[in-house]
Amino acid sequence: MDLTETADEQAFRAEARAWLEANVPSVPLPSFDTAEGFELHRQWEAKLYEGRWSAVSWPVEYGGRDADYVKWLIFEEEYWRSGAPGRVSQNGIFLLGPTIIEVGTPEQKARFLPAMAKSDEIWAQAWSEPDAGSDMASIRSKAALSDDGSEWIINGQKIWASRAAWADWCFGIFRTDPESSRHKGLTFILMPLDTPGITVRPIAQLDGDTGFAEIFFDDVHVPIENTLGGVGNGWGVAMATAGFERGVSLRSPARFNVAVDRLIKLWIKIGDPDDDTMRDAVTDLWMQAEGYRLHTYMTVTKLLEGGHIGSESSLNKIFWSEMDVRAHELALQLLGPDAERIDGPHERWVDGFLFSLSGPLYAGTNEIQRNIIADRVLNLPRG
Amino acid sequence: MKFSFTSDQQQFAAGLREMLEREFTAAHLRHVWETGAGHDAALWSRLAEMGVLSMMLPEADGGMGGSFVDTILLIEELGRAAVPGPVFETMTVGALALAGTPWAAGVADGSVAVTAALMGERYVPHTAVAGVVLLSDHDSIRAIETSQLQLTEVEGIDHGRQLVTFAGTETAGAFVGSDRETATDAGSLAAAAYLLGLSSRMLAIAGDYARDRRQFGQPIGSFQAVKHLMADALLKVEFARPAVYRAAWSHATDSDTRARDVSMAKSLASDAAQKAARSALQVHGAIGYTWECDLQLFMKKAWALMPAWGSASYHRRRVSDAVLGPR
Repeated sequence: MDLTETADEQAFRAEARAWLEANVPSVPLPSFDTAEGFELHRQWEAKLYEGRWSAVSWPVEYGGRDADYVKWLIFEEEYWRSGAPGRVSQNGIFLLGPTIIEVGTPEQKARFLPAMAKSDEIWAQAWSEPDAGSDMASIRSKAALSDDGSEWIINGQKIWASRAAWADWCFGIFRTDPESSRHKGLTFILMPLDTPGITVRPIAQLDGDTGFAEIFFDDVHVPIENTLGGVGNGWGVAMATAGFERGVSLRSPARFNVAVDRLIKLWIKIGDPDDDTMRDAVTDLWMQAEGYRLHTYMTVTKLLEGGHIGSESSLNKIFWSEMDVRAHELALQLLGPDAERIDGPHERWVDGFLFSLSGPLYAGTNEIQRNIIADRVLNLPRG
Repeated sequence: MKFSFTSDQQQFAAGLREMLEREFTAAHLRHVWETGAGHDAALWSRLAEMGVLSMMLPEADGGMGGSFVDTILLIEELGRAAVPGPVFETMTVGALALAGTPWAAGVADGSVAVTAALMGERYVPHTAVAGVVLLSDHDSIRAIETSQLQLTEVEGIDHGRQLVTFAGTETAGAFVGSDRETATDAGSLAAAAYLLGLSSRMLAIAGDYARDRRQFGQPIGSFQAVKHLMADALLKVEFARPAVYRAAWSHATDSDTRARDVSMAKSLASDAAQKAARSALQVHGAIGYTWECDLQLFMKKAWALMPAWGSASYHRRRVSDAVLGPR
C-alpha cells in the first residue's frame, strides 16, 4: 500500500491541470441535451482531442495516452475540479470504445475509434425497448440476414436511447435468431442514425431537455461488418460494456467530490451553524464521497494487479447514484425558497437535483443492481 | 498510488482466518461465554505464537515490527471470529504504549494482555483477563497492573468483553510511551477493523440461513425483500472497508489527516455493523431472537463495540471539525 502519488503521477496531474486551466470555457456551455448545446459540446470535445485529453485511457494509436486507471482517475479529478463541461461523448469514449478495444476487429478499431476520440462521430446507446427495461433480456427488435448475407435488416423499436436526439451513430443489441429467447440469439450492432428507415423521436426529460429518444427501425439495412463481438454474442458483449459502465467509467468519483465540495461551501455560506442535524448530514455526504473515491482507488489497483471487476460493480452503481440524490436533496433543503426557482442563482443545484434523479433509474435500476448483488456477490438463490 | 495489500500481508491474514475457522468456531466462543472466562487462554497462546499479538511491537521488544497496515487485516480476521478478550487492544494500543517497557516481552509472548480506558470510559472492559490497564493522564498514558486495582464487576451484554468499574487510580502506575491521541486513534481504528470483520461474519451467517431456510416452497433468500435487505447491508460494509484500510495507512505514516481518517473509519464501521446486525437478525426471523442462535454472539459483540472507542456520532463530529471547521 502506498497512498501517495508517484512523481510520474504528479507530473501527469500537473500537465492536465495546466491544460484545463488554459482551455476550459470561462462561461458554462448550454446543456448538451439541447441542439445548440450539443454542437458546442462537440466543439469542446474536439478541443480536448487536440490536447490529447479526450480519451486518456485509450492506446496512443487511437488518440489516447495509454494512461493506466490511476492516471485516468487523476485526470477525472482534475477535469471535474476545473469546471469543464459534461462529456457529450460519454457513450462512445467510456462505454463503446473500451468494448471495441477489447472485442473489435482491427478494421473496426481503425474505422470507429479515431472518429470517436475526435467526436466527429458521437454515439447514442440503444439498449432498452418498450417491453425490455429492467428485463433487458426480453429484447424483441430483430435483425435478419439479407439473402446474400451481406447485411442485417433491422425492424423494431428502442427507447430511452440517451444522446440519440443529436448523435451520429448508435449501438445496441438486436435479436438475430428469431427462434431464440432471453439472453441467447442476440447480436451487438453499430449503425449511423441517418440510415434510411431509422426514425428518431426525441423525448423530453423531467428537466424539459431532450436527453433521450425513441428510435424506430423500419427495414434498416446495416452492413454485416458492423457486428461487434460476433453473431449471437450480443448479451455477453453488452454485459461487458454495462459492467464497465457500472463499475468504473460511468461516474468517476471526482464529480461527486466536487459536488460535495460545493455543498460544503454552500453550507458554510448559508447554513445555520447551530443546526447540528444539517452539519451531520453534510459530513455524512463528505464521508460517502470520500468513501466512494477510496473504493474506486481500491478497485483500480485490483484491476492494475490483474484482477477483474465482477458483480461488485453493482455496489458502485447504487452507491454513487443514491449519494448524488442525497447531496442534491440536502442542497435544496439548505436553499429553502430558492430551491423552487429554476432560473435563479442556484439553477445548477435545481438542475443537478433533477439530473441526479435519473441515476437510480438508468444503467439498470438500483433494484436490479440489488438483485445482482444478492445473486452473485452474496450467493443467494435466484428468485 | 497503490491501494492494496502485499501478498505477504494477504497470506498472513488468510492463514489466520484458516486457523480461526478450524480452532475457534462459534461453539468455542459459546464455551467462553458459558465458563465466564472472558477469553480463551489456549487461543491467546496460539495468537502469540503466530506473531499476531506482537505484529505492531518493535523487533527490539521481541515483536514483529510491523505497521498498522501490516496489522489491519489481522484485526479484521479476529473480528470475523469474534475472538474474545482484549485482543485488538493488546495488539495496537498495548504495543504502542508498552514498547520499550518491561511489559513488552509479555505482550510478545502472550503473558501480558492489555486493556485501556483512555476516553473517559465509565466501564472498563477485559480487566479480569488483562495484566495491564492503560489510563489517560491529560495527554499522556499511565500503565497500572490490574492486580493493584479494586475492581467492581458489572454485567455487560457481551460475555466475551467483561466489564468493571474502579476508582482511586488518579496517580497510580507508571508513565509509558505514546501519547493519548495516538493511542486512542489506534484503539478506535482497531475497533473499526474488528467491526468490519464482525459485520462480514454476520452477513455470512445470514446468507447461510437464507439459502437453507425454506418458506412458501423456496429458500427465503430467493425473495427480493430478503435480497435487498442483505444487499443494502453489504453496501454499508463494503464502503466502510476502504475507509478502514486508508486510516491504517494514515496511522502508519502519521499523516496530517490521521484524526479525520480514523474517525471516518470508526463512524462508517460502527454504522455498517449496526446495519449488518439488524439485517442479519431480521433475515433469521424468530430463530434469531433466541439465546441458542449463534448470531447473538456476534451481534452482541457489535453492539458492545459500536459505542466503544467513540460512537459513530462522536467520530462524525470529529470528521465535521476537520472538514467543515470546528463549531
